[in-house]
Amino acid sequence: MSTAAVLRLQIERSLADRFPAALSPAPKTIREVAATGIRAVDELLVGGLPVGAISELTGPESSGRTSLALAFVASRIAEGRVCAWVDGNDCFDPESAAANGVCLSQLLWVRCRNVEAKPKQREQRWARLDQALRATDLLLQAGGFAAIVLDLGATAPEHGNRIPAATWFRFRQAADRARGSLVVLGRAAYAQSSAAVALECSGRQARSAGGTVLSGLEYEVTRRRERFSSLPQGMRMPESPTTGLSRWGGKPPVSTWTALPAWEAVRRA
Amino acid sequence: MKSELYACAHAAEFPAQALLRLRPDLATQPVAVLEGRAPEETACALNWKARQQGTAYGMTRLDAESIPGLRLLARSAQSESAARAVFLECVAQFSPRIEEASRGTACAFVLDIDGAERLFGPPEKMAQRLRAALAAAGFRTSIAVSANFHTARMKAAHSRGISVIRAGEEAGALASLPISALVLDADQAETFAIWGIRTLGELAALPEAELVTRLGAEARAWSALAHGRAAHLFQPVEPVLALEEFCEFETPVEQIDSLLFVAVRMIDSLAARANGRALALAALTARMKLEDGSWHERIIRPALPSVDRRFLLKLVHMEIGAHPPQAAVVSLLLRAEAGQASQMQLGLFAPEMPEPSKLNVTLARLKAIVGEDRVGSPALDDTHRADSFRMKGFVAGSSADALNGLSQRVALRRVRPPEPLSVVLRAARPIAFRNLARRFEITEAYGPWRTSGCWWSMDAWDGEEWDVLTTEHDGTAVACVLTHDLQRNTWNLEAFYD
Repeated sequence: MSTAAVLRLQIERSLADRFPAALSPAPKTIREVAATGIRAVDELLVGGLPVGAISELTGPESSGRTSLALAFVASRIAEGRVCAWVDGNDCFDPESAAANGVCLSQLLWVRCRNVEAKPKQREQRWARLDQALRATDLLLQAGGFAAIVLDLGATAPEHGNRIPAATWFRFRQAADRARGSLVVLGRAAYAQSSAAVALECSGRQARSAGGTVLSGLEYEVTRRRERFSSLPQGMRMPESPTTGLSRWGGKPPVSTWTALPAWEAVRRA
Repeated sequence: MKSELYACAHAAEFPAQALLRLRPDLATQPVAVLEGRAPEETACALNWKARQQGTAYGMTRLDAESIPGLRLLARSAQSESAARAVFLECVAQFSPRIEEASRGTACAFVLDIDGAERLFGPPEKMAQRLRAALAAAGFRTSIAVSANFHTARMKAAHSRGISVIRAGEEAGALASLPISALVLDADQAETFAIWGIRTLGELAALPEAELVTRLGAEARAWSALAHGRAAHLFQPVEPVLALEEFCEFETPVEQIDSLLFVAVRMIDSLAARANGRALALAALTARMKLEDGSWHERIIRPALPSVDRRFLLKLVHMEIGAHPPQAAVVSLLLRAEAGQASQMQLGLFAPEMPEPSKLNVTLARLKAIVGEDRVGSPALDDTHRADSFRMKGFVAGSSADALNGLSQRVALRRVRPPEPLSVVLRAARPIAFRNLARRFEITEAYGPWRTSGCWWSMDAWDGEEWDVLTTEHDGTAVACVLTHDLQRNTWNLEAFYD
């Protein structure tokens, strides 16, 4: 045994009653991940979105967060599981979901609604948000859903930011127990430290065919937060020329991907 | 000669028992059941507490109301009918051969238990089990076991607890029974009273030939009954599985919690009866008669047949809570459909799914939060109309039509209902639009894409779609879908590409 190892052993023994294994690095837990179905994003996340944790997809309209969430749901359902979509603002489009390969019969859609007893617009927003949070809580407690998407994409950040941190903490615990992925769509990051992964989505450019038809949208995904990175510390992300994944050069890793319009799938079929 | 053994289960004061078995809150109170037309109602059944307080049969409502603390209930034929079915089903667990021996306000069934010793043990033990089963169903009964049918019947009707009469001891067991145990008319009863014959023992002591000479041929049958040797041709009844429970309230019930307090006993009884036949409850129909004379009906169908009382009660609670009756409830009828008890084969490699019973309750709770028609799986309609779908009930399970070949398509975020816009056009193409809050400059507009349909109906649509790229004042680029309704000449923001 080397001198350093002997020395470490001696120090650890002397501190054992106060700090167990003081100089040994804590064993790293390998978190289960599920592929999103988008190669560029999976490479960015080194496998996919975490299972049993909260993932946040943030960005404004036309940033690709909904397409990304749909791709993830589609890939989970393709594994024979069921998913749920808690629609905070009744924005979900079943046609888009079907075009993205989501088997609709295996998707539970919860459409939050305006409350008639509260006609004021401001109160209705709160009512919808309250419904969405309660529905998510129930689904997480019920268990068995591989992915639950909490869609707050049209909720104003000033409302979303007022969701108590305790709620997100509870969701994190429940997702961990239920072994399901909770994906939060929003204009800003609401779950903060409770989220295992935060991806910032943005639109890059629109593609057109002959200047007459919108033939696709190119999106950019930036990894803002990753709690359980499977890469050892200090290891660099490899560059992928096919997916446009950038190097890890001090800046957050970025990836780009392109989504085609639904009619393109019909034309190709 | 074939050996015989009968057990009689006798429930006295059945009109009262039928009403009280679902009302544990009244179990410790004096209760009298009245029958007849108001205001000439008279007491027809009493519980023990009411008798202790001096209530008597035939007492009028006016007299009964003068007794402090006495609860007066109206006799309910439907409650008695439902209770009788439960009683019959309960005794049917012990023997398939049953004959009804009800008289007056009592409900009694005689069971042919010959040969049942190997299943239920000796007669004493079997009688105890029978009484315990009936007590669990809410009936206070007396049980008599005898080799003679009529001996068992009469002994059970005039004794409390359990009486087991050995073969040859029938006359002795019946000796103390009053003469009214026989079916006598008023003249015959008076004759016996004049003679000073008050018990069956005194009747049995009289010489049979002399008795027949004075009272006619019927006296032979009475003598045989008093000696415990009367013959009987057994006429079995067939118990029909009718999972129904009925409860009529003395005052209309407005609170759902009060309703559920009674419903829980009913569900218990229904689940136990179904379970007794190795079945489960596949559907529950709650039919409520309301104060205004109308009916309110709700049907609860669990994902899997179940006998779990808490789970079923939760479903009933959620359903009635989501669809409360519009008036106070006068009576509640719970009718259940039996189904095969659920058995799920779990696979070692099968993906985890929501537990059906848990999912059932979760869906009911979600419906209570967001609305009945806003929870489920979407199903696309066979039409080209935009945003056309219907909601289906969500059923978890691996689907045969799971889609393969995943591909990334631009998703839409619908604006429901579409937001009206004012659009600035140049050369028939939109260049800017404004909604209530913001103004958008259009950088690119792709279209128009004409769409129309259902021209033969009132449901017709005819419009144009534009895919537009816009820039907000802060420079954010947004892709969205605008529609131009050609019939009404209006522009709407239909969806965002996201």
